[in-house]
Amino acid sequence: MKVETGRLILRQPRPEDWDAYRAYRRSPRSSLGRAVADGEAWTHFAAFFGHWQLRGFGRFVAQRRDTGAPIGHFGPFFPEGHPEREITWTLWDAALEGQGYATEAARAVVDFALGTLGWTSAVSYIERTNARSQALAARLGAVRDPLAPAPYDGTDVWRHGRGRRA
Amino acid sequence: MTVRLEGVPVIETERLRLRAPRAGDFAACADFMASDRALHIGGPLERPLAWRAFCHLTGHWVLRGYSMFVFADRATDAPLGMAGPWYPEGWPEPEIGWSIWPAAAEGKGLAREAASAALEFAYRSLGWTTAISLIADANSRSQALARRMGCLPEGLFTFPTGSTARIWRHPGPGGQA
Repeated sequence: MKVETGRLILRQPRPEDWDAYRAYRRSPRSSLGRAVADGEAWTHFAAFFGHWQLRGFGRFVAQRRDTGAPIGHFGPFFPEGHPEREITWTLWDAALEGQGYATEAARAVVDFALGTLGWTSAVSYIERTNARSQALAARLGAVRDPLAPAPYDGTDVWRHGRGRRA
Repeated sequence: MTVRLEGVPVIETERLRLRAPRAGDFAACADFMASDRALHIGGPLERPLAWRAFCHLTGHWVLRGYSMFVFADRATDAPLGMAGPWYPEGWPEPEIGWSIWPAAAEGKGLAREAASAALEFAYRSLGWTTAISLIADANSRSQALARRMGCLPEGLFTFPTGSTARIWRHPGPGGQA
């Protein structure tokens, strides 16, 4: 199962992605500005694979077509305890920001979820302080849904939908 | 578009089947994780965290090529617990882990049956030459099982989270400690 865009291939995570993922989790980009210990990061990385196994879908790793490097995880996410199915986006390296990679990947996985997976609705849970992610959601055509429940404090629910994408 | 765990063996013992974890096993796992019986393995955990732990159990198969099995009643396939080789990032060395999920399944020797089969799998199929089990000093039931399996206590290991567990070393593949 994979999704292709102009510059990226979004595919299932592979064990070889661990080094790049670990570097991201060691950086302040990880988890609310907090670096995460390798053991905890490994647990989360392993859980990517478990989510695929248990749900039949999960987050993709985006790989650049030109260099082959894995640059982030994107996509359908629905862990136990979350109110709704979610589309997430995470770019692992700050140096890759501002080049449209996250938008390109996120747009493709929204289409994948609403198309191939047949979801009738998808949300993204975004922290109120995360202006970049909010801007990305707006670029995708998502709108805030103030009535929908969020799984975490301090986050807004952004709802994607057919026909909303720019 | 099915995503499957490939190559997870099935081991049958007198009363149990050790097999790959499945989505349908989660409820029994989550009930255990939410209970005080999970105190010695980092619990009790709320359901979302239990779900991530269950995803970790499954992903460990992909990343290491082995992981804990779910052991199920051989007749009904009802999940009774997990047991098997376990080596996440940060562990001092690979261990054999075990947990019984429903309290009603305790006291029947099922954990020993599963753990012994898992240890034999680690020695015979994975080629391990030694194996430990990490057991909290307050976890008297698991310690008793380790003793029955012939394990000897060694030093304390401190996890990166700050909690500690005693290293219990199993007899080697030839039966010597």
